[in-house]
Amino acid sequence: MSEFDHYLHGVLMRAAEEARAEGSATVEAHHMLLALAAGGDPVLAAAGLDHAAVRGALDQEFAHSLAAAGVTMPSGPPRSAPAAGPPRSAPAAGTPSLGATAKAALDRAIGRAPRKKDIRPGHVLLGILLAEVGTVPRALALAGADRHALIERLP
Amino acid sequence: MSPVEISAQGEVADRLAAVGALRRLADQLEDAAVEEAMRAGWGWPQVAEALGVTRQAVYKKHAKRLIAAGVALRRRSG
Repeated sequence: MSEFDHYLHGVLMRAAEEARAEGSATVEAHHMLLALAAGGDPVLAAAGLDHAAVRGALDQEFAHSLAAAGVTMPSGPPRSAPAAGPPRSAPAAGTPSLGATAKAALDRAIGRAPRKKDIRPGHVLLGILLAEVGTVPRALALAGADRHALIERLP
Repeated sequence: MSPVEISAQGEVADRLAAVGALRRLADQLEDAAVEEAMRAGWGWPQVAEALGVTRQAVYKKHAKRLIAAGVALRRRSG
Protein backbone atom coordinates (compact mmCIF):
# COMPACT_ATOMS: atom_id res chain seq x y z
CA MET A 1 0.00 0.00 0.00
CA SER A 2 1.42 3.41 -0.98
CA GLU A 3 1.65 6.26 1.50
CA PHE A 4 -1.29 7.94 -0.22
CA ASP A 5 -3.44 4.78 -0.09
CA HIS A 6 -2.70 4.56 3.62
CA TYR A 7 -3.72 8.21 4.09
CA LEU A 8 -6.92 7.81 2.06
CA HIS A 9 -7.85 4.65 3.94
CA GLY A 10 -7.51 6.54 7.24
CA VAL A 11 -9.65 9.42 5.98
CA LEU A 12 -12.38 7.09 4.73
CA MET A 13 -12.42 5.09 7.97
CA ARG A 14 -12.86 8.28 9.99
CA ALA A 15 -15.45 9.56 7.49
CA ALA A 16 -17.39 6.29 7.93
CA GLU A 17 -17.45 6.94 11.68
CA GLU A 18 -18.84 10.42 11.04
CA ALA A 19 -21.52 8.95 8.76
CA ARG A 20 -22.49 6.35 11.36
CA ALA A 21 -22.70 8.97 14.09
CA GLU A 22 -25.05 10.98 11.87
CA GLY A 23 -27.19 7.93 11.15
CA SER A 24 -26.29 8.14 7.46
CA ALA A 25 -26.22 4.93 5.40
CA THR A 26 -23.63 6.45 3.06
CA VAL A 27 -20.34 8.30 3.45
CA GLU A 28 -20.72 11.70 1.82
CA ALA A 29 -18.27 14.48 0.98
CA HIS A 30 -19.18 16.40 4.13
CA HIS A 31 -18.22 13.35 6.24
CA MET A 32 -14.83 13.36 4.50
CA LEU A 33 -14.49 17.07 5.29
CA LEU A 34 -15.24 16.34 8.97
CA ALA A 35 -12.65 13.55 8.90
CA LEU A 36 -9.99 15.87 7.47
CA ALA A 37 -10.82 18.56 10.04
CA ALA A 38 -10.62 16.00 12.85
CA GLY A 39 -7.22 14.90 11.54
CA GLY A 40 -5.92 18.46 11.83
CA ASP A 41 -5.58 19.12 8.11
CA PRO A 42 -3.19 22.12 7.94
CA VAL A 43 -5.12 24.07 5.27
CA LEU A 44 -8.41 23.71 7.17
CA ALA A 45 -6.71 24.46 10.50
CA ALA A 46 -5.14 27.66 9.11
CA ALA A 47 -8.65 28.84 8.21
CA GLY A 48 -9.90 28.06 11.72
CA LEU A 49 -11.87 25.05 10.47
CA ASP A 50 -11.40 22.42 13.16
CA HIS A 51 -13.86 19.56 13.65
CA ALA A 52 -16.20 21.59 15.86
CA ALA A 53 -16.27 24.49 13.41
CA VAL A 54 -17.08 22.21 10.44
CA ARG A 55 -19.73 20.35 12.46
CA GLY A 56 -21.28 23.67 13.45
CA ALA A 57 -21.28 24.88 9.86
CA LEU A 58 -22.94 21.66 8.66
CA ASP A 59 -25.62 21.86 11.37
CA GLN A 60 -26.28 25.46 10.36
CA GLU A 61 -26.55 24.44 6.69
CA PHE A 62 -29.00 21.66 7.61
CA ALA A 63 -31.24 24.04 9.57
CA HIS A 64 -30.98 26.67 6.81
CA SER A 65 -31.96 24.17 4.10
CA LEU A 66 -34.89 22.84 6.13
CA ALA A 67 -36.03 26.41 6.68
CA ALA A 68 -36.19 26.87 2.89
CA ALA A 69 -38.96 24.24 2.95
CA GLY A 70 -40.69 25.89 5.91
CA VAL A 71 -39.45 23.30 8.39
CA THR A 72 -37.90 24.45 11.62
CA MET A 73 -36.20 22.33 14.22
CA PRO A 74 -36.46 24.29 17.47
CA SER A 75 -33.88 22.09 19.16
CA GLY A 76 -31.52 21.65 16.23
CA PRO A 77 -30.77 18.35 14.51
CA PRO A 78 -31.67 15.29 16.64
CA ARG A 79 -28.06 14.11 16.61
CA SER A 80 -26.71 17.23 18.31
CA ALA A 81 -29.58 17.75 20.73
CA PRO A 82 -30.38 14.42 22.32
CA ALA A 83 -32.02 16.01 25.36
CA ALA A 84 -34.77 17.78 23.41
CA GLY A 85 -36.64 17.21 20.20
CA PRO A 86 -36.83 13.78 18.59
CA PRO A 87 -35.04 11.09 20.58
CA ARG A 88 -31.53 10.22 19.55
CA SER A 89 -31.23 6.86 17.83
CA ALA A 90 -28.54 4.20 17.92
CA PRO A 91 -25.88 4.64 15.23
CA ALA A 92 -26.13 2.66 12.00
CA ALA A 93 -24.57 -0.80 12.10
CA GLY A 94 -21.98 -2.04 9.64
CA THR A 95 -19.82 -0.01 7.28
CA PRO A 96 -21.60 2.75 5.36
CA SER A 97 -21.01 2.64 1.60
CA LEU A 98 -19.48 5.47 -0.41
CA GLY A 99 -22.18 7.96 -1.43
CA ALA A 100 -22.51 10.01 -4.61
CA THR A 101 -20.90 13.20 -3.27
CA ALA A 102 -17.90 11.33 -1.82
CA LYS A 103 -17.38 9.50 -5.12
CA ALA A 104 -17.55 12.80 -7.02
CA ALA A 105 -14.97 14.33 -4.64
CA LEU A 106 -12.61 11.37 -5.09
CA ASP A 107 -13.01 11.51 -8.88
CA ARG A 108 -12.06 15.18 -8.84
CA ALA A 109 -9.09 14.42 -6.52
CA ILE A 110 -7.80 11.79 -8.96
CA GLY A 111 -8.48 14.07 -11.92
CA ARG A 112 -6.36 16.84 -10.40
CA ALA A 113 -3.24 14.67 -10.10
CA PRO A 114 -1.21 14.69 -13.35
CA ARG A 115 -0.48 10.97 -12.99
CA LYS A 116 -1.81 8.40 -10.55
CA LYS A 117 1.51 8.26 -8.69
CA ASP A 118 1.45 12.05 -8.24
CA ILE A 119 -1.66 12.03 -6.09
CA ARG A 120 -1.09 13.61 -2.68
CA PRO A 121 -3.19 14.07 0.49
CA GLY A 122 -3.95 17.66 -0.56
CA HIS A 123 -5.80 16.38 -3.61
CA VAL A 124 -8.45 14.79 -1.38
CA LEU A 125 -9.36 18.11 0.27
CA LEU A 126 -9.17 19.76 -3.15
CA GLY A 127 -11.63 17.24 -4.58
CA ILE A 128 -14.06 18.04 -1.74
CA LEU A 129 -13.65 21.82 -2.04
CA LEU A 130 -14.06 21.88 -5.83
CA ALA A 131 -17.77 21.06 -5.53
CA GLU A 132 -19.52 24.21 -6.78
CA VAL A 133 -22.89 23.30 -5.31
CA GLY A 134 -24.22 21.13 -2.51
CA THR A 135 -23.82 20.72 1.23
CA VAL A 136 -20.08 21.45 1.51
CA PRO A 137 -19.95 24.83 -0.33
CA ARG A 138 -23.19 25.89 1.39
CA ALA A 139 -21.84 25.04 4.84
CA LEU A 140 -18.51 26.77 4.18
CA ALA A 141 -20.30 29.90 2.98
CA LEU A 142 -22.50 29.94 6.08
CA ALA A 143 -19.37 29.59 8.24
CA GLY A 144 -17.84 32.58 6.46
CA ALA A 145 -15.02 30.45 5.02
CA ASP A 146 -13.61 31.46 1.63
CA ARG A 147 -13.68 28.24 -0.42
CA HIS A 148 -11.68 29.75 -3.28
CA ALA A 149 -8.95 30.97 -0.93
CA LEU A 150 -8.71 27.43 0.51
CA ILE A 151 -8.48 25.96 -3.00
CA GLU A 152 -5.62 28.33 -3.87
CA ARG A 153 -3.56 26.91 -1.03
CA LEU A 154 -3.84 23.37 -2.42
CA PRO A 155 -1.93 21.60 -5.22
CA MET B 1 -28.55 32.10 -24.54
CA SER B 2 -27.34 34.14 -21.59
CA PRO B 3 -24.91 32.41 -19.22
CA VAL B 4 -26.64 30.50 -16.44
CA GLU B 5 -25.79 31.52 -12.89
CA ILE B 6 -25.18 28.33 -10.93
CA SER B 7 -24.45 28.99 -7.27
CA ALA B 8 -24.41 27.08 -4.01
CA GLN B 9 -26.57 29.87 -2.58
CA GLY B 10 -29.74 31.49 -3.78
CA GLU B 11 -33.34 30.41 -4.11
CA VAL B 12 -32.87 27.55 -6.56
CA ALA B 13 -29.97 26.08 -4.56
CA ASP B 14 -31.98 26.50 -1.34
CA ARG B 15 -34.94 24.59 -2.74
CA LEU B 16 -32.73 21.74 -3.98
CA ALA B 17 -30.84 21.61 -0.67
CA ALA B 18 -34.18 21.57 1.19
CA VAL B 19 -35.09 18.30 -0.54
CA GLY B 20 -31.85 16.65 0.57
CA ALA B 21 -32.21 18.03 4.10
CA LEU B 22 -35.80 16.79 4.39
CA ARG B 23 -34.73 13.30 3.28
CA ARG B 24 -32.00 13.31 5.92
CA LEU B 25 -34.42 14.58 8.55
CA ALA B 26 -37.00 11.92 7.60
CA ASP B 27 -34.32 9.22 7.91
CA GLN B 28 -33.24 10.52 11.31
CA LEU B 29 -36.84 10.70 12.55
CA GLU B 30 -37.53 7.19 11.23
CA ASP B 31 -34.45 5.75 12.95
CA ALA B 32 -35.45 7.35 16.25
CA ALA B 33 -39.15 6.47 16.01
CA VAL B 34 -38.60 2.83 15.02
CA GLU B 35 -36.08 2.41 17.82
CA GLU B 36 -38.47 3.99 20.32
CA ALA B 37 -41.32 1.71 19.20
CA MET B 38 -39.21 -1.45 19.34
CA ARG B 39 -37.89 -0.52 22.79
CA ALA B 40 -41.52 -0.05 23.85
CA GLY B 41 -42.30 -3.61 22.74
CA TRP B 42 -43.92 -3.04 19.33
CA GLY B 43 -43.48 -5.86 16.79
CA TRP B 44 -42.18 -5.51 13.23
CA PRO B 45 -45.67 -5.88 11.66
CA GLN B 46 -47.09 -3.00 13.70
CA VAL B 47 -44.10 -0.74 13.07
CA ALA B 48 -44.26 -1.57 9.35
CA GLU B 49 -47.97 -0.87 9.09
CA ALA B 50 -47.68 2.35 11.07
CA LEU B 51 -44.93 3.52 8.69
CA GLY B 52 -46.86 2.34 5.67
CA VAL B 53 -44.11 0.04 4.40
CA THR B 54 -43.65 -3.73 4.23
CA ARG B 55 -42.37 -5.75 7.16
CA GLN B 56 -39.44 -6.88 5.03
CA ALA B 57 -38.49 -3.26 4.29
CA VAL B 58 -38.53 -2.11 7.89
CA TYR B 59 -36.71 -5.23 9.09
CA LYS B 60 -34.03 -4.93 6.43
CA LYS B 61 -33.49 -1.24 7.19
CA HIS B 62 -33.42 -1.36 10.99
CA ALA B 63 -32.87 -4.86 12.45
CA LYS B 64 -29.08 -4.88 12.24
CA ARG B 65 -28.72 -1.47 13.86
CA LEU B 66 -31.17 -2.23 16.67
CA ILE B 67 -29.61 -5.62 17.41
CA ALA B 68 -26.17 -3.95 17.51
CA ALA B 69 -27.61 -1.35 19.91
CA GLY B 70 -28.83 -4.14 22.19
CA VAL B 71 -32.54 -3.46 21.74
CA ALA B 72 -34.54 -6.53 22.80
CA LEU B 73 -36.57 -7.34 19.69
CA ARG B 74 -39.78 -9.33 19.60
CA ARG B 75 -39.87 -12.28 17.26
CA ARG B 76 -40.11 -11.11 13.66
CA SER B 77 -43.47 -12.86 13.31
CA GLY B 78 -44.69 -11.36 16.61
